Amino acid sequence: MGIGPARLLLPGSGGRSRPRRPAQSMLAYSLKRAAQSLITVAIVITVVFLLMRLMPEEGYFGDGYDKLTPAQREVILRSMGLTDPWYIQLKDFYIKLLHGDLGTSIIYRPKVPVAEIIKPKIPYSARFGLAAIVMSLSVGLTMGVLQARDKGRRWDRVGTTYIVFINAVPAVVYLLFIQLYVTRGTGLPMLFDRDMPGSWILPGICMSLGGIAGYAMWMRRFMVDELNKDYIKLARAKGMSNTAVMFRHVMRNAFVPMAQYLPTTLLLTIAGSIYIESLYSIPGMGGLLVDAIQRQDNPLVQALVLIYATLGIVGLFLGDILMALFDPRIKLEKGEGAR
Amino acid sequence: MFRRRKAGAPLPTGSPATAATAGGAKLPSMSASEVQALFEFAEYDEQAGERTGYSSYSYWGSTVRVFLKNRSAVFLLVAITVLLTFTVVQPYLPGQKSPLKIHLDPETNYQLRNVQPCEEFWFGTNSIGQDLWARIWSGTRTSLLIGLLVGVWNVVMGIIIGALWGYVRRLDRLFTEIYNVMDNIPTTITMTLLAYILRPSLSTMIIALCATSWLSMARFVRNQIIIIRDREYNLASRCLGTPTSRIITRNLLPYLVSVILLRMALAIPGAIGSEVFLTYIGLGLPLSIPSLGNLVNEGRQLMMSPGLRYQLILPSAVLSIITISFYVMGNAFSDAADPRNHV
Amino acid sequence: MKRAILILLILSLALGGCATLGIGATEYRTVYSGELTTMNYLVTGTTAEQAVAANTVDGLVEYDNFGVLKPSLATSWTRSADGLVWTFKLREGVKWVTWEAKEYGDVVAQDFVDAAKYILTKANASRTSNILCEVMQGAQDYWDGVTDDFTTVGVKATGKYTLEYTLKEEVPYFLTMLTYVCFLPAPAKFLSEVKDKFGTDHKTLVYNGAYILKNFEPQNIREYVKNTRYWDKDKVHITKLTYRYNKEASTLAPEMFIRGEISSTGIPTAVLDAWMKDAAKKDLVVPALTSYYTYFYAFNFDPKFDAQYEPDNWKIAVNNLSFRKSIFHALDRVAAMITAEPYEPSRRILNTVTPRNFVATGGTDYTMIGPLAAFTKADSFKKTLAAEFKTQALADLQGKAKFPVKIMMPYNTGSSDWTNRVQVVEQQLETLLGTDYIDVIPVPFPATGFLNATRRAGNYCIQECNWGPDYADPHTYTDPFTPGSNYNWPELAVGYTEENGNTKYVNLVNAARAETKDLKKRYEFYAAAEAHLIGEAFLIPYGVGGGGFMATKLDPFTAPYAPFGVSTLKFKYQAMLKKAMTAAEYKAAQTKWETDRAAALKAAGQ
Repeated sequence: MGIGPARLLLPGSGGRSRPRRPAQSMLAYSLKRAAQSLITVAIVITVVFLLMRLMPEEGYFGDGYDKLTPAQREVILRSMGLTDPWYIQLKDFYIKLLHGDLGTSIIYRPKVPVAEIIKPKIPYSARFGLAAIVMSLSVGLTMGVLQARDKGRRWDRVGTTYIVFINAVPAVVYLLFIQLYVTRGTGLPMLFDRDMPGSWILPGICMSLGGIAGYAMWMRRFMVDELNKDYIKLARAKGMSNTAVMFRHVMRNAFVPMAQYLPTTLLLTIAGSIYIESLYSIPGMGGLLVDAIQRQDNPLVQALVLIYATLGIVGLFLGDILMALFDPRIKLEKGEGAR
Repeated sequence: MFRRRKAGAPLPTGSPATAATAGGAKLPSMSASEVQALFEFAEYDEQAGERTGYSSYSYWGSTVRVFLKNRSAVFLLVAITVLLTFTVVQPYLPGQKSPLKIHLDPETNYQLRNVQPCEEFWFGTNSIGQDLWARIWSGTRTSLLIGLLVGVWNVVMGIIIGALWGYVRRLDRLFTEIYNVMDNIPTTITMTLLAYILRPSLSTMIIALCATSWLSMARFVRNQIIIIRDREYNLASRCLGTPTSRIITRNLLPYLVSVILLRMALAIPGAIGSEVFLTYIGLGLPLSIPSLGNLVNEGRQLMMSPGLRYQLILPSAVLSIITISFYVMGNAFSDAADPRNHV
Repeated sequence: MKRAILILLILSLALGGCATLGIGATEYRTVYSGELTTMNYLVTGTTAEQAVAANTVDGLVEYDNFGVLKPSLATSWTRSADGLVWTFKLREGVKWVTWEAKEYGDVVAQDFVDAAKYILTKANASRTSNILCEVMQGAQDYWDGVTDDFTTVGVKATGKYTLEYTLKEEVPYFLTMLTYVCFLPAPAKFLSEVKDKFGTDHKTLVYNGAYILKNFEPQNIREYVKNTRYWDKDKVHITKLTYRYNKEASTLAPEMFIRGEISSTGIPTAVLDAWMKDAAKKDLVVPALTSYYTYFYAFNFDPKFDAQYEPDNWKIAVNNLSFRKSIFHALDRVAAMITAEPYEPSRRILNTVTPRNFVATGGTDYTMIGPLAAFTKADSFKKTLAAEFKTQALADLQGKAKFPVKIMMPYNTGSSDWTNRVQVVEQQLETLLGTDYIDVIPVPFPATGFLNATRRAGNYCIQECNWGPDYADPHTYTDPFTPGSNYNWPELAVGYTEENGNTKYVNLVNAARAETKDLKKRYEFYAAAEAHLIGEAFLIPYGVGGGGFMATKLDPFTAPYAPFGVSTLKFKYQAMLKKAMTAAEYKAAQTKWETDRAAALKAAGQ
């Protein structure tokens, strides 16, 4: 490697005074990306808007199609605002949006404002999602670190078995097993009930099972990679304690690639988990988008895509920033020597 | 280092000629004969000089060697090879049943429903009397085909797009834009529309999965590249005027080989997993085209009847074996691909 | 209340999940997987959504548990001599109440007029408006916007408690139509208060029925409580109905029933085998009612499909009676039905288009009238007949049609039963008739836009179709086969046109429709028309909907019984049992019910 060890010795070990990136340029960069993001969201929404207009007309009538006269069908389509040419519909949609109106559901719950449908659902998903993230991160990262330190020995084997299991057995299968047998064994209720604290436990745990495996797997991978690097060897050689090496160097470097995903994951907790929310009857956001698409509730789909896209894009941006914060060597905007 | 000395090559400091002179100059107190007793003068050989720093070390050779040391990985490699071969040759073996043939009860002349695994039907039959053994292998074939095609496509697209996206700053904005747009269009919409326009079939499923699944791979590679692109050795390389393509292929990608390999290994079971999920939300393949996805989903509905659980467990087991194999092999290979593990 | 349930639940769990504990004998709990989109009963056309109104809003008449039409909000009614004007005397002192059980106002005749006006207002996009338009004088014109004077429409409040309907033409079955949602009342004052939010949640409805919807959280819970001001509250035995949403309801419900968390469950075919093998559970399995949805395999007389499936060849083949009959007799409907109903499949097999017990006259069920009786009594699956007709068809069509005839059979990939069934049918027909004669080609279509892509577009050779009744008269089952429909275009079949330019079937139906005085004769005419349709093999009758098996603590024989309308969705009259009904108890109760019903029908003169 053509790198002087002295430079690499210090990532994150404090005492760095050199401001690599002036705050000003960071701000400019952020603004530029925000503007960019607005355009992106607009493109996404427009594309989704148009795609939804490609769906077959039959879908707007459900099972009752044959029971309706053609004139009735026409009237129903008009009441859903679907008879205008697509560009008029698109224009109307954007005008409403600029006035802060997400639209009104047409099929999922006709005549009910989309915001009213979504609002009560977000807290459920967000609460479970956050709990799951906290648990996945704390348990998963710890597990990954333990595995990496114990590479090839007992804890690594235990962890790997768990990871392999979670990845190998389809979630639709093991989650159903858990619901069936754990509730039978422990006396926890089968369905979620807001007013029963006990019923929060199982879905919460289930929701973090996959995350734990994911974080542990990547943490282990990156840690193992990092531990082999020269600066770690040097740090060890100069007598740094194992824990210090782990936390000050290895973890920090290993965390960088994960940092990019963290904000997106956090923001998108409100999207909920389709399968777990379905199993436990949690009235969250889980299946809402899929449901709305399958029932062709255009305004609801548009609103959800708008929300998710905005969060996703903001997440990506925050991820980049977080990544740069963890590893100052990363330069996001065009700087000296960059191409 | 160790290797080099053993090979008898001169120390890698400067050319042999200067080393000899310098050595001579620095040992004034030693007589020539004493020196001669300790060392032998090497013949000056330009070619040998050029070989400086090279050894018989071969990257992929070592990778394979290290990989082969991992016994469980090798075992799974053998297992998956056997499985792959078996799924391909299974229909041509003697005594195999068609996965779509409905077997009838000779007495009633109606379907032989839900027969437990027995001598005639090794894995039992499903709810309309089709042989589960044949269906599982046919399904594995379908799913592996989906997995391999989609997995390879992901890796190729992911690396090409991801590397360009990550390294070429001018492209960053464009690619980020494309990524954001594509990533935010719900798969359900594209899947539903594709199935509506193209009708449900294997190719529809493959097209739909290929259309979007490379995105996450590309993002992953891009992130990795951003992390290392500005490191000093790349900076130096750039200063020396190395072309971008060379920096990407020679400086960046080799550094990422291990993580990319892991992703690649996971892409195949990942694609199969997506198929299972799509089947769950009702966008999977029809039951007349068996796949692990719809076999598992069909079995899932029998979950509550312990007697029929074989219809869930058997396809899930095959699915798990495939996933575990790729996962463990991926990890082992990825470990092996890291040159620092080669010593 | 919730705490009480909690305590009960904990108690029941502590006692080892004993199935009989947990729910009071007057509380009904269930899980469901399809959420309501609206509860606006003046607009919706979906059964599940109409169930809300069925339990919370009473109409003029209702069916009791023997299928006898009883007065509800109307205490008495008269019919004019020409049969066009119906006058209803309403029950006095019935109150509208809000979701908080506060009194809102009296139920008066004007409420029925206001509701009809709402339905016939185009902007409200009601899905049941066509039913009013078909029978009610002036309704179509008002809906079309020809006039905006609602007094021209044949529904009037001639007094505070007197309601008058004027019909376009004589409708012998008008009373039965009144049990449908489009004849329910709604106060204009409330409609104008909530505007277009009517029926979007429990707060935007007013109630006059047996229950009040106390709570409605979509994708979570729906709770009804007994309406203490209900005019007929002695007939309401269950005091609380709790519906919990669960997307996987069909998978989880049987287990939850065993644990005592819910009061009744359907038993999906997938679990049925296990229950039948378990001695304790087997006893709890009782049959669920079949519905009045009719299923049949239609032969397409207007093939408009891809050239690869040879539409011209199909057209030649399908116009040959022997060819149609060879398939008619070759289809083993039981084998096909097993994919949906593995236990007692014959219970759901139907040999006519109109289901059994739909209507009857003089003690004879419609399906046993005249030439229909022959079909009802015999299974259409006859191997030897099929082979004979095959030989005949081969001789008839030699040199005209190409063999094997390609039979394109679309199926909906969204339904796993259907996917399974089409494979069974393909194999069964091809094995029996030979692949040199027919080549059945199942073609998958996605659930998205399924019928528009297949049946309605004429894009099939033979397809499984269904139809449900709109009112209690055999005429409702002729709709799919009369010109203007998009089922299988039998009017295009060669050789059935009579002198007046109509097909024989259309003429038979018109004759039946014209007979409005003598119900017996009317039914005989309809039966002749239907027998013609089946006898000439324009279609193969297949089965009825519903069915399957369930385990329940409700006494199914206390539930309102009706061929049509929303009465069957009512919990009024229904009683809960202390323990789940056993198969033996079911049998006994069924026998008793049948005797009682015969007596009740006789007494009512139906």
